[in-house]
Amino acid sequence: MKIFKFFITKIFLRKAILSISIILLLFMANYTTFIATRSILSTFQGYQEIKCMNQEGIYIANLDPDSDVDIDAIGENGTQIVYDYLNNNFNYAFYTDGFMVSLPNIDDMEISLCYMNEEYYELNQFELSQGTDLDFDYQFDKDKEIPILIGKGLSKTYPVGSTIKIEDPVLEQPITLIVQGVLKQNAYHSNFYALNSKNYYNFSIFLPVNAEFIKNANIDLQLNGLMDIVILQTTKEKTVDLSEVMQDNLGLKFNFFSQEENFDYFKEYYLYSLKIMSITTLILLVIITCLSIWNALVSIRLMLRDFTINLLVGLSYSKLRKIFYSYFGILFFINLIVIFSITAYNRYECWLRKDATFATYGFFGLIGMDWFALLVVFLSDIIIGKIIVENMLRKIKKIPISLGVLQ
Amino acid sequence: MGRSLFRFVDALELCTAYIFCFFLNLLFDYVKTLDLGPYILKDFFKNFTDYQTLIIFLFTFIVIVFHYQMLHRKKTEVYCRILVGDTILNITIRYSLDCLMILGFVYLLSILINVYLNFNLTSNLYLVFIFITYILISARQVRKYENF
Repeated sequence: MKIFKFFITKIFLRKAILSISIILLLFMANYTTFIATRSILSTFQGYQEIKCMNQEGIYIANLDPDSDVDIDAIGENGTQIVYDYLNNNFNYAFYTDGFMVSLPNIDDMEISLCYMNEEYYELNQFELSQGTDLDFDYQFDKDKEIPILIGKGLSKTYPVGSTIKIEDPVLEQPITLIVQGVLKQNAYHSNFYALNSKNYYNFSIFLPVNAEFIKNANIDLQLNGLMDIVILQTTKEKTVDLSEVMQDNLGLKFNFFSQEENFDYFKEYYLYSLKIMSITTLILLVIITCLSIWNALVSIRLMLRDFTINLLVGLSYSKLRKIFYSYFGILFFINLIVIFSITAYNRYECWLRKDATFATYGFFGLIGMDWFALLVVFLSDIIIGKIIVENMLRKIKKIPISLGVLQ
Repeated sequence: MGRSLFRFVDALELCTAYIFCFFLNLLFDYVKTLDLGPYILKDFFKNFTDYQTLIIFLFTFIVIVFHYQMLHRKKTEVYCRILVGDTILNITIRYSLDCLMILGFVYLLSILINVYLNFNLTSNLYLVFIFITYILISARQVRKYENF
């Protein structure tokens, strides 16, 4: 410990520029690894989530990019005809979110309402931390309570069994909700078309909808619900007929994609992106490692006399190796702390901004994928550290001690 | 380079460090112009392009390291030159001019590439100012080696 302290204070820190420079290079290597790992993991989580949609007979609606959307031209009558057609001919999973309401809660967050039908709920298998599953067979009546699930952030203010009165933005009338269960913390929903992007349900309310509810809702809910509607146990021919009905009544062209098409899309779109990301990260890591080796060799060049004098007076190469590993261990630790702090601050910023869709719970605000990415950074640090230290030692061993002392 | 502190390897090393920083800046500008298509890729590269100036500034530290180690290695040479009649002022001026010449060469090269790729010519001008500052600071360090 004494010799290590001596090396740090009298040799490494005496040429602080070199230490700062190597810390910055290693920080960039760590930052790149962290960002890439988190993006890849988030995409993978998103893919796992939508995998339940990639089943035989399931078709997902997608608004044709060339279709002109004129919301004003669409009447409630048109959407109702489409829903009637859907109810008579198909089983479908309905989901829409993003309807915000103000509801008193201890964190003072805006609350997002998520409307889903039974098929969507069963398809996604949401995990609960308290209470029981949603009940979709309720009678729609403004005097009756609608059973709901809430996110963890609301569970303190509204425990299971409590009632909530809100002015529903889609029914445009006051309704009473009864809390039936609480979702597991950090339950999320990935965007179908950007799997790495997630909305967290910590401050959301899951409202069960049935045909009657949709019928009484305004056009915003009806139209939004159609945008990502998932048709179950059907055939391509039937979805073509549905697409025609939608075109005739809404003036919007919808495409329906099957399991194979979605999988091909994944392969083309996501695997390509993940490959590009991995290759870019690898190239950056190689460049930064090379620069770090150069920096380390420069340090050796400038500190050679100090090293060789210590070797002359009895320091062994194995002890020197240990000192180098400990020194780089400290540098990596500093970097890990910095990345950890940046991530924790970013997560905390969502709370400061009162951004309900991104607010997450976790140890120091970090969630599972952040910890996993930090673990990958740690492993990459071990590899980079080994490469740098072994190169430094090789360089020192190449120079005779007598020559080094004379420098 | 007869009377210069620079040897060919030193000039090559500094040139490489400058080229690396300018190339990185160019790469960022190029990525910004690309239609990356998938959202996931845009999101990934945004993590870097949003901090372009900061990241490149951090990488310019390799130029500081170069100046630092170069002058450290040359302190005996500086002292010996003074012993044989050279002056610290002349050594400093020659050192600064050599650095500026290498910087000018790399900057011209980057301008040519910017013209070829139709990029904004001033996008890497800030790097020139950063490097000139480094040269001026390191030139002051030469004076430190007047007495061995």
